[in-house]
Amino acid sequence: MDDFSELEAELKQLRPAAASTDLMARFECKLAEGAATRSGGVLPRRRERRVNWFGLGLGLAATAAFVMLARVNVDKPVPQQPALAVAPSAAPRIESTLPRTLVPDGVTRVVYNTRDEGLVFPRSSAEPVRRVRSRSRETLQWKDPGSGASLRVSYPTEETELIPISGQ
Amino acid sequence: MENVATHEDWKVCFAEAAPGLILFARQFVRSVADAEDIVQEAFVKFWRKQHPIANRALLFATVRSTALDLLRRDIRRARREADAFAEAEQSIAPPEFDARTESQQALAAAVDRLPAEQREVLVMKIWNELTFGEIAAVLGISQNTAASRYRYALAALKRNLISHG
Repeated sequence: MDDFSELEAELKQLRPAAASTDLMARFECKLAEGAATRSGGVLPRRRERRVNWFGLGLGLAATAAFVMLARVNVDKPVPQQPALAVAPSAAPRIESTLPRTLVPDGVTRVVYNTRDEGLVFPRSSAEPVRRVRSRSRETLQWKDPGSGASLRVSYPTEETELIPISGQ
Repeated sequence: MENVATHEDWKVCFAEAAPGLILFARQFVRSVADAEDIVQEAFVKFWRKQHPIANRALLFATVRSTALDLLRRDIRRARREADAFAEAEQSIAPPEFDARTESQQALAAAVDRLPAEQREVLVMKIWNELTFGEIAAVLGISQNTAASRYRYALAALKRNLISHG
């Protein structure tokens, strides 16, 4: 670059021609025009307030969609989760209280039919036997001493009895 | 200077910068009148956008883009723009210098014969005192490229002056 220092100095002595006075006047005129429409051209430009109709419409549409979704959520029935939660807790309580509170209260056996079917000769016995068939109903009963509640189970039974006969 | 410049500040700035800016704009257009129009339009754009006065790189970039816009308007198409740029390079009048002596006139003529890309770097560097960083920002090139173009311009000028001397 040292080789060019003399040349650079010569170039710097060569001055550009001055701008025309007309140009300066035009520029001043433009500044004045700008100042008339703006606040002096030195303050930060104030943004004009324009209604952005597209943005406004988009916003309203979004709001409407949000409200609709919110309504859908509100109109939903009460979640069934609590009922589901209650159901399992009730069952164990019954199961657990039954054996603790109910105590056997009695058993009854009512024979309502007895029939003598005569002599029979079973293979395993050398002597004949009398066969008597009886039908009955047995009832089992439990009672809760605290509350007085009772539980009764009744079922039919049939019994066959072989009675040896004497050779008298 | 700050961006909160008054009208008087802008006028002083314009008066100081205008000759160098016009010289720069002359790289793109044939007549002084067109160059002055470009500078005025660019400066007004610069002022309206409230750019800091001290941002010279942006100011020169604005002048350059305004000049290219003008070329596009005239030429209409990018291919023609390149042709017009080359044509302008050959046919524009020498940059207007205040050349008083014969040696200065020879120097001005030598500057005019430089390739356009070297000449615009030289104009920004010598007569507008932009740094290579600023020149690079204006032209969208690297600083090294700007510095190289500057050196090539000086070398070409030296050769030219010797051969014509």
